[in-house]
Amino acid sequence: MAQIVLKDLVKKFGAQTAVNGVNLHVRDGEFLIMVGPSGCGKTTTLNMISGLERPTSGEVVIGEQVVNDLEPGERDLGMVFQDLALFPHLSVYENIAFGMRVKKLADAEIDRRVRAAAEAMHIEKLLAKRPAQCSGGESQRVALARTIVTNPSVFLMDEPLSSLDAKLRVDMRTELKRLHARLKSTFVYVTHDQAEAMTMADRIVVMSGGVVEQVGGPLDIYRRPATQFVAGFFGTPTMNFLAGEIAARAGGLEFASPNLRQPLADGLPASLAGRKVVLGVRSEHVEVGHGTGQGRVQLIEPLGDGTLVFFEFGGDAPLVAKVDAETALRPGDNLTFGFNPAGYHVFDAQSGARLN
Amino acid sequence: MTAVLEASRRQTAAAGARNVRRQRLRVAVRHAILIGWTIVILFPIYWMIATSFKEKHEWVAWPPHWLPHDFTIKNYTQIFVFDVAEKGVAREATEQPFNVWGPLADSLLICIVSALVALLLGTFLAYTISRFNVGGKHFRHAILMIRMVPPIVIAIPLLMYYAIMIPLAAETVLGTRLILFDTRVGVSLIYIATTLPFVIWMMLTFIEEVPYTLEHAARMMGAGRIYTLRRVVLPLVASGMVVTFLFVFILNWAEFLLALTLTHPDVVTLPVLLNKFQSASEGRLFGPQAAIGTIITIPVVILGILIQKHLIKGFSFGTIRK
Amino acid sequence: MRPPWRRLGAWLAQERVFRLIPFVAVETIFVLVIIIPFLLTVYISFLKWRANRPFEQAYLSGFENYQQVLTDPGFWAALGRTFYFAGAAVALELVIGFVLAMLVARTVRGRGLYITILLVPMMIVPVVVGYNFTMIYIDSGPLNQLLAPFLEAFGIDPRVRWLSDPIAAQWAVILADVWQWTSLTFLIFLSGFSALPKQLINAARVMGATAWQIFWRVELPLLRPAIVIAVVIRSMEALKIFDPVVLLTAGGPGTSTQSIAFYLWEQVWVFNKFSFGAAASIVLLVIFATLIFFGIYLLVRQSATVARRIGP
Repeated sequence: MAQIVLKDLVKKFGAQTAVNGVNLHVRDGEFLIMVGPSGCGKTTTLNMISGLERPTSGEVVIGEQVVNDLEPGERDLGMVFQDLALFPHLSVYENIAFGMRVKKLADAEIDRRVRAAAEAMHIEKLLAKRPAQCSGGESQRVALARTIVTNPSVFLMDEPLSSLDAKLRVDMRTELKRLHARLKSTFVYVTHDQAEAMTMADRIVVMSGGVVEQVGGPLDIYRRPATQFVAGFFGTPTMNFLAGEIAARAGGLEFASPNLRQPLADGLPASLAGRKVVLGVRSEHVEVGHGTGQGRVQLIEPLGDGTLVFFEFGGDAPLVAKVDAETALRPGDNLTFGFNPAGYHVFDAQSGARLN
Repeated sequence: MTAVLEASRRQTAAAGARNVRRQRLRVAVRHAILIGWTIVILFPIYWMIATSFKEKHEWVAWPPHWLPHDFTIKNYTQIFVFDVAEKGVAREATEQPFNVWGPLADSLLICIVSALVALLLGTFLAYTISRFNVGGKHFRHAILMIRMVPPIVIAIPLLMYYAIMIPLAAETVLGTRLILFDTRVGVSLIYIATTLPFVIWMMLTFIEEVPYTLEHAARMMGAGRIYTLRRVVLPLVASGMVVTFLFVFILNWAEFLLALTLTHPDVVTLPVLLNKFQSASEGRLFGPQAAIGTIITIPVVILGILIQKHLIKGFSFGTIRK
Repeated sequence: MRPPWRRLGAWLAQERVFRLIPFVAVETIFVLVIIIPFLLTVYISFLKWRANRPFEQAYLSGFENYQQVLTDPGFWAALGRTFYFAGAAVALELVIGFVLAMLVARTVRGRGLYITILLVPMMIVPVVVGYNFTMIYIDSGPLNQLLAPFLEAFGIDPRVRWLSDPIAAQWAVILADVWQWTSLTFLIFLSGFSALPKQLINAARVMGATAWQIFWRVELPLLRPAIVIAVVIRSMEALKIFDPVVLLTAGGPGTSTQSIAFYLWEQVWVFNKFSFGAAASIVLLVIFATLIFFGIYLLVRQSATVARRIGP
């Protein structure tokens, strides 16, 4: 059980900066997920927490200690790698026992703890087998057993589910959540899959280009994305974005784009008038059937519990609306549309920062 | 309609039968050619083995005897005996004795030691190249280029180096006359240098098959560098090391040019010995030569067949499946 | 908790030092055994070093040695001959190896056995190959026995001394090389054939192409990388031919089978013309270096093509 604090963490590889000033506080016992596209620096940050990489500058604090100078093996961590890193020439039993053999624990003690971990992960029957003989899911559990057997205070995971097929992935997600609930340890998890992040995390850290874009709970991130990047990263289908500017109008401000004008809610400072912005609206907040906009349906995608309607309205890109499954709309139909003002996200066109 | 159907059925059946015959003929021809080449391959080897068991009067008999009429192991016993004074296998007073123990020992010693040293050094270097990128991006290619130089181009420099330069240098600097010419150490050194590129290249492919995350995982669990090497990396490249060792051993065993240039008369390797028989005054001593040839060849062929699978993998980018 | 000697600093220092040790060791060997001799040779190539005089009496004489080498008919004859040997041998090896690979690729029964046997010649010590063929070529050898019916029909004494005739001796050397190294081209081509993507060939069949058309237009172009690799690798090796020459003919009759390696060896070892040999080595090195660079350039280009096709 330990909290982790990252202070101004920077990592440079020669001329390239992979991590550019990350400040983070991971609470004791929480399931924190770092998410972002490839190259955003999430794995490098994880490696600095684990000790496999040394920070160029900044501090890593685990518990009460600054651990920059500690070896990975001395930080009381457990780590699961993307390719699982199971030793192919050792049996499952010896794989799990590896860390304890390094520390030269007594055989009886090792045996007890290996069997306890195997029982916890339901892999008792595999102990005599080699990793090559285990299926994807079984190998996952062996890797997990290997980490829990040393009772670490922090678990680090680097995209552990990315090599599994879709169904197995969903099952393992639940398994990991259960494990976290039972052990009550701190989990730091890295993934590029936003769905994984949304379903499993207590808190999400969104990274891009070596910096942290936003930190918050899944719903916060979904409902109030701090930047345009975060807004576009989460949610399927991707949020609709309209480029335009803020114009002053009698009684308040409105969003003006070549094809569309929408009044904006109160609460936005008048000084924003004239600013070039991007308006973001999620598909579930695009209302079809009433409003001032005119469009023509391009494509219908039935989802089962709803239907996606792709339509163009004369702007640069088509918009997506999520409507009832029973809709009668077909490609080629004309429609009217409007936006639910509660679902507006206004971002500065240049910096991407949220304005409302 | 049925008439047309019937006619087409008969036609297809007839064509099918023709195709089967043609196919069988093709297969037969294929095998015939392959077997033919197989005979071409096996024949010289067989001839050598047969000759090694023939008496002198059969060596160059006409018409040649395909099977020894007087089977004998005298050729083998002769070369294994220390001194030969038998009639019919006379030798010049200045010739070396024809016994094979010395060269056999020299060959074995030089080949095994050179291969071992090259293996150890090369494996370590390959490890550091793979994990730490020592030497830069093109180091491994640069190393391989050393191997491409024709041996004659280094043989001559080495001859002068070993025989003259080093003694001179040693004499002036250290005061002792140190000669590398005609020494086992000298030959081993150059064998090591010329086979290192192969060791490095082969071990690189084997080491890179071991994912680096395994070493990370071990490090996460508290294992030190040496422990990780010993318990994680080494077991996984052990078979690769064996293959590399055997490959290098075979290369050293077959090496002729450098051995010929750099040794006389003390150190004699087996290939050089084989060549010496040519200078006998009684015409070529084909029998003992055949015996030596057989001794040289058979172990290597067996070893070669053993590591054949890996040789295939190396040259075929992994596409051939036997 | 953690012993002082395991401090992170110590680890790093270990790693930084540790990883350079093998590099230094290997480079030292290379420098000692290859670079320095090479430099000394360059030096010697500028000396006039009379055969049986001690080294101390040699003196610098500029490019005289190089002049000698470049105008020496023996040198150029041997070089040209070597290219001739290599050319003929490699051509035969390519064709035979290609045919063999094609046949084996399509055989099912006994494939493994054929491959094992067909690769044996590569593993025979080259000196022994030379010796074997001596046995076969001598005037009372099996070759003549097999050819006896033909020869006698033409009134020729079947006990032909192949190795005493310059042209026949040359071909004897070439054929010995072919016998041994066809295995290598066979291996390279076999891997090429095994790597042919079946789907491409099936697509062509569906489109109605005949077997011949498929061979010419689909398989052969796909085999081009393998062909280039085989040509480059074998050519570079064939130019170094030495062992069979020594055993079969010792360069004879006369000088008709002297490869360049043999010629150089003879100059230094038998005639003790050290400075001549040194200069000749350098000239040969330059020639070979150009060929090697060219060969590597071709090889790398073709390997990249193959790797891309096969995928990770």
